[in-house]
Amino acid sequence: MIFLSKLFRRRRYDDLTVSIREHIAERADELVGEGMPRAEAEQTARRAFGNVGLVEQRSREVWQWPTAESVFADIRFALRQLIKSPGFTITAVVTLALGIAVNATMFSMVSAFLLPHLPGRDPQSMVVVSSVNPDSQFQPDANPASAPNYLAWSKDTRVFSAMAAADEYRTGSLAGKGLQAEALSYAAVSTNYFPVFGVSPALGRAFVAGEDQPGRDHVLVLSHGLWERRFGSDASVVGRVVRLNREDYVVAGVMPADFRLLGFTPQLWTPLTLTASDATADARKNRSLYLFARLAPGIKLEQARVQMRMLGQQAQQDYPAIEGRWGAAVRTLPDFLIYNFGIGTALAVIMTVVGFVLFIACANVAGLLLTRAVGRQKELAIRMSLGATRVRVVRQLLTEGVVIALLGGGVGLFLTYFGIRVISAGLSFNDAIADVKISLDTNVLIFAAVVSLVSAVLSSVAPALKASRTEINTDLKSEGRGASSGRAHNRMRVFLVGGEIALALFLLIGSCLLIRGVSLIEHQKLGFNHDHLLTAGLVLDKARYADSSKQIQFVRGLIERARQIPGVEKVAVASDLPASGLNSVTFHIKGQTEAHSNDQHTVADVVVTPEYFEVAGVPLLRGRLFTGRDDATAPHVVLVNQEFVHKYFQDRDPVGKQIQLDVAGASPAWSEIVGVVSDVKSYSEDARVDPEVFEAYLQRPVASFALMLRSTVEPKSLASSLRQAIAQLDRELPLLRVMSMDDVIESQKNGDPLFTKLLGTFAILALILSAIGIYGLIAYSVGQRTHEIGIRLALGAKASDISRMILRDGFKVAAIGSAIGLLMALPLPKLFESIFHGLVVGGPEVYPVVLSVMLIVAFCATFGPARRAMHVDPTTALRNE
Amino acid sequence: MAKDSDRRDLFPGALELMILQSLRLRPMHGYALVKHIQQVSGDLLQVEEGSLYPALQRLLRERLLESEAGTSAKGRPTRIYRVTDAGLRHLEQEVSSFEKMFAGITRVLAVAKT
Repeated sequence: MIFLSKLFRRRRYDDLTVSIREHIAERADELVGEGMPRAEAEQTARRAFGNVGLVEQRSREVWQWPTAESVFADIRFALRQLIKSPGFTITAVVTLALGIAVNATMFSMVSAFLLPHLPGRDPQSMVVVSSVNPDSQFQPDANPASAPNYLAWSKDTRVFSAMAAADEYRTGSLAGKGLQAEALSYAAVSTNYFPVFGVSPALGRAFVAGEDQPGRDHVLVLSHGLWERRFGSDASVVGRVVRLNREDYVVAGVMPADFRLLGFTPQLWTPLTLTASDATADARKNRSLYLFARLAPGIKLEQARVQMRMLGQQAQQDYPAIEGRWGAAVRTLPDFLIYNFGIGTALAVIMTVVGFVLFIACANVAGLLLTRAVGRQKELAIRMSLGATRVRVVRQLLTEGVVIALLGGGVGLFLTYFGIRVISAGLSFNDAIADVKISLDTNVLIFAAVVSLVSAVLSSVAPALKASRTEINTDLKSEGRGASSGRAHNRMRVFLVGGEIALALFLLIGSCLLIRGVSLIEHQKLGFNHDHLLTAGLVLDKARYADSSKQIQFVRGLIERARQIPGVEKVAVASDLPASGLNSVTFHIKGQTEAHSNDQHTVADVVVTPEYFEVAGVPLLRGRLFTGRDDATAPHVVLVNQEFVHKYFQDRDPVGKQIQLDVAGASPAWSEIVGVVSDVKSYSEDARVDPEVFEAYLQRPVASFALMLRSTVEPKSLASSLRQAIAQLDRELPLLRVMSMDDVIESQKNGDPLFTKLLGTFAILALILSAIGIYGLIAYSVGQRTHEIGIRLALGAKASDISRMILRDGFKVAAIGSAIGLLMALPLPKLFESIFHGLVVGGPEVYPVVLSVMLIVAFCATFGPARRAMHVDPTTALRNE
Repeated sequence: MAKDSDRRDLFPGALELMILQSLRLRPMHGYALVKHIQQVSGDLLQVEEGSLYPALQRLLRERLLESEAGTSAKGRPTRIYRVTDAGLRHLEQEVSSFEKMFAGITRVLAVAKT
């Protein structure tokens, strides 16, 4: 149909041309009849008729669906023009494609992490209630809550129609018939957990009321992933008995694959049993429950916030000693998940960086278009003198920009496909990250389309407007006779390239500050000896190791047996590995009375066996270490680190002083400080050192701990012997995370290596693009000034003078751009420190280094054109008109 | 473009009206149409080619005119325009509304003179 009507129109247009031709011919004939010479008559007739092209066009427009047809014509024309200059087209399209691809690739992460998939019905009315930790600088208001608080807060049904609790980070061992025990993470959830989300299992049933009572609680719901992996997607698994933590559980159901919450990766769920002991004041110290609630109909988030603030204050008043300055906070479910996941800041920084890269790409393309517009000035002047209006010319040029941007977008999407594969491969440094699927989804497609159009506008509006300001007369007459095309003409390009250099330098400095910071952290002294150290995690289940004497007995046997493994020197057990995070408790110093609950002291609490300090290589500075005699029957003793002495004893000798730790589940007792050890960083990925106190394992055994083996051989080679040794002690006890300490530290870097790699890549991309920009500018101006250079040479200028002149031009732009970029980058360290928790920012040495790199690159980009200018042959240049 | 002070722009619809009326007498091609209007108006009205051809296309689109291949007086190929039935009806409506308007204008001008 369209083709037919097109043919039809084409014929009509031909008819029109015939009519007009005859019209003019007849008028000419008439004039000849009146005695005018033929040639003159034809000219007069033509002049009397006016602008044939314009009349034809306006006559045609009568038939056109007003502008669409001319838009198509513009697009066709633009494509023809682009095909005619492939060099320009490829440069512009590839530049934009790179800019669009990095943006779309990074946006795929935004789409996956910040627009998370939310399970269940009406997720917008779901909220998460958290405790507010007064002593944490990192996400203080996303702290899990204690069981007594859950019990109290869930009673408030005015604000929340239902509240579920989940103990998300439990570790257990799953065993099947004749299968090797496997350690996995699971969550214990209140029986209303799934109904609150509004999800039902894909198979079987969810928990029912009453299954949170001891005796009825041996049921579990499998995650879809575990069901596939461990049970081969066998539908008959429902009702089967499996062993979890050495006890029999009945499989009640299997959840659908899309039931997952960003950052939480439980493999199965069991009911959360809360007994009378979970309602005591002491249980308030144990804050491990995530509270998911649904707002009651008609209740706004703000009302829930007010209510929770009140309930938080209530708890403070009722239990000042424990609840102290703690509070309660409410966030919407998506808000909480994103916040808790803590990837937002990094993504924001990366998106800003790629946004800048896009700006630079657009500036380059704008520069190219400007160059082209200058070359096409005569074409445009002719078009305008033939009756094209300014709007029409601008539209034509904009169309060209849009066509370039869309081509760039298409190529960019193609690159994005591969970019996403690279990113996905890099994003597997922990379970929670690996659980998030990054894909080229609709969000990314829409984003890419929008970015393409924005870059079309950014890169072509200025050139189009400038080109359309063509002066018909001057441009038609001047045949490029001007000796030099003048500074005014290049001003916009200089401005663009200067801006590019400023942005590129800004990005380079920002990236280098961050990369240097990360590398400083990577190479910091952690305060202990982490090579030749094999580690593994163990969780002693309640079924077999109910009381502390059994735990102590097991640990004794474990150390004994592990020491006999060939290649093992020393063995220790600790509640937490060094530099791997800490467990804070409050404490009191004997003889000091806290005036107010606000003055509560907190300290990181680690339980260790006596050999720990030798195994980890942490030197004793004062007093003594633990011995085998520091057991349950002996008086309680503790060791502290230097930071502890500094913070709480103002560097005075603390040995002999008594402190009391508030540990959940342990009876309060005064302990004597018997020694001081040197500091170890709290986190390997952070420069922080916290006050730390060490308790003796024999005096306070714990069920969950890490095993550390100091070896004389490659630590990982001992893994299988260690497994065998454990199996001899307890065949059903799984080992968790058998890794060398170096690997533990590596894994704790999380996304840092990927983050810095991305930043570095984008900064270098920005550098390359701006180098292309400055090269283009100088090469172009040399081309324009060939004539001028010829005259200079003819008048006796030396070739070296010419090249110096060109280099100076390039250098001037680079220097101005760099100065602006430097100024922009000055507040960066402060900014980074405020947005990244615990980040170390690279020092001032970054600035001169980056600046010189920038200037060297600018120099190299200018050098080629400058050399070409040097070799200009005056005679050719002068003849070249 | 310099404006001719003796001549004034036609009001909207006037050109179409004259085209239809002229073609009603006999089918013509473009140049003949211009000549015709010029002659009949005693050189008082001059049709600008810049407006004529778009106007012709508009009338064709509205199906008030039709065109056919023909030859000019000199035997060269051209398009001959002819009024359709719909064109005739449209012309009559327009003429009567124009006449009313002219009558109105004339009366107002007459009153203003006295």
